[in-house]
Amino acid sequence: MSNDTTRAGRAGAIAARAAPAAAETYKDGSQDSAVTGFALLLPAIALYAAFSLLPILVTIWISFTNSGGFNTQAEFVGFDNYLRATQDPIIWQSLLRTFLWLIYHVVLAGGLGLLMALAISAMSRGRVFFRTALFLPHLVSLAVVGVIWANIYDPFYGLLNTVLQNIGLGGWIRGWLSEPMLVLFSVNVASSWQGFGLYMLLFIAGLQNIDRSLYDAADVDGATAWQKLVHVTLPGLRDVMTFVISLALINGLKGFATVFVMTNGGPFYASEIITTYIYRLAFSAQDHGLAAVLCIMMSILAITITVTFNRWRARGAA
Amino acid sequence: MTWLRDFRILVALVPSTAVILGPFVWLIVSSLKTEAEIGAGHPFDLPDNLMWQNYVDAWNVGSFGSLIGNSLINVAGVVALMLLACVPAGYALAKIRFPGREWVFFGFIFGLTIPIQAIIIPLYQLLQGLGLINSLTGVVLAQVSNGIPFGIFLMRSFFLGVPNELTEAAKIDGASHLQILVKVFLPLSTPALQALVIISALSTWNDFFLPLVVLISPEVQTLPLGLVRFASTFTTQYRLVFSGTVITFLPVIILFILTQRRFTEGLTQGALKG
Repeated sequence: MSNDTTRAGRAGAIAARAAPAAAETYKDGSQDSAVTGFALLLPAIALYAAFSLLPILVTIWISFTNSGGFNTQAEFVGFDNYLRATQDPIIWQSLLRTFLWLIYHVVLAGGLGLLMALAISAMSRGRVFFRTALFLPHLVSLAVVGVIWANIYDPFYGLLNTVLQNIGLGGWIRGWLSEPMLVLFSVNVASSWQGFGLYMLLFIAGLQNIDRSLYDAADVDGATAWQKLVHVTLPGLRDVMTFVISLALINGLKGFATVFVMTNGGPFYASEIITTYIYRLAFSAQDHGLAAVLCIMMSILAITITVTFNRWRARGAA
Repeated sequence: MTWLRDFRILVALVPSTAVILGPFVWLIVSSLKTEAEIGAGHPFDLPDNLMWQNYVDAWNVGSFGSLIGNSLINVAGVVALMLLACVPAGYALAKIRFPGREWVFFGFIFGLTIPIQAIIIPLYQLLQGLGLINSLTGVVLAQVSNGIPFGIFLMRSFFLGVPNELTEAAKIDGASHLQILVKVFLPLSTPALQALVIISALSTWNDFFLPLVVLISPEVQTLPLGLVRFASTFTTQYRLVFSGTVITFLPVIILFILTQRRFTEGLTQGALKG
């Protein structure tokens, strides 16, 4: 999702799996000097400290000020912004929409990725063709996906409504992006169309790692294809599945571009999610104090997702 | 019996693949139609004459040449800085045994899960203070910083898999860590470097949020941002929007098909190993 960088989304989920490095010495008990270590780390630390760590700390500070926009003086106001946040109905609504958005993405993109991976892996020939073909949507920028799907959903010229008309399902024609109950789902379909390819690749890799002898044993026992799926394949995919779900949740949380391009949160905030509301508060309303509170909520959500799946995975491994 | 199983899978897989790729086919077919043909309501009918003129018009009106140029500069800058920052850092965190290493490692974990949108206000202020708003340099620095934790974890976990004996033997020969990294480790690291380059390049090429915030004038904008602006300017001229969209996604898709084995390996390994 416009995470917008899939890279960053992946990083979030990966952090969960990274084990802390043990303090090491050489065989004679010696260590390298800290100077050597930090010299090689310097470019990374400098960039990261300036453009990531510092902004995290400043965001926390801004949430306690009445900053009214860029280039303005701000005063410390304590927990005022947090209080205002609890009273802002749009914040609660956007959080609720974000949760729905995450569920849609995990089910649509994760589910489609799993189904396609199962089908492709079961074939004896033509795997590379289908893997390549089905991965193509993932190469398209989510902003461009937004442009494409805004046209697919166009009420008059759009692909969806004209196809429905042509195959005699004219009654199903809808205003896919204008009906408040439908719009979030419609936009999520676009995001999930772009997102499922990566999950499919991860599931295919996971399927390759399942021990073939388990299937042979199941054959000897006369297991049906369904029994093999339920008792061998799905348990064997457990680790990949938790990884894909955490990745999909983080990617979903960072979703921005499709909503911004297709509906800009509308109609009447019906598709406003946490990222688009942050953007609106920061760059249109210029209410930085409130925006910073929302930024902190978003960070806490991201950390919660990562830590929860880290624990879950650790328990599975134990 | 494998052909029977393959056949049953194909019966399900071919239609779903057709539906999933339908939007691409529709866009390409429509991009070669006249406005009247697009409005005729038969999305997959072929046009009477191939309107290549749509592409010429879209290219000129939308300045796609300059958008592509900006995107290429953006990608080149990010990939170069990612390699320069993450390869030595990943090596240091995997193979150099120095006090404070764990602290640095946790420092990177700390910011790792924080989404870019959650720090955008101070990031904007910082770039503004440095005079980097409306400049590709500003976008590059922010994107690299955002990608550094992932790049470091990817390189670190790859280097951890290289036996310590290699480092220790080179140390006995009197080599410095920088020499060991360049002469011993880099030649072994093609798969990890490939994954890092592919993932950084693709996510930078497709990035929207940071360019949207930082790049204000059309002359400095990157491709996705430029296309969104183009599409909202010419909402009613479908032929231009369609051909502009095809111009935007087709090069990457062709590049992917040509290099798909490496590309797929790089992405999968990058995601799983990082």
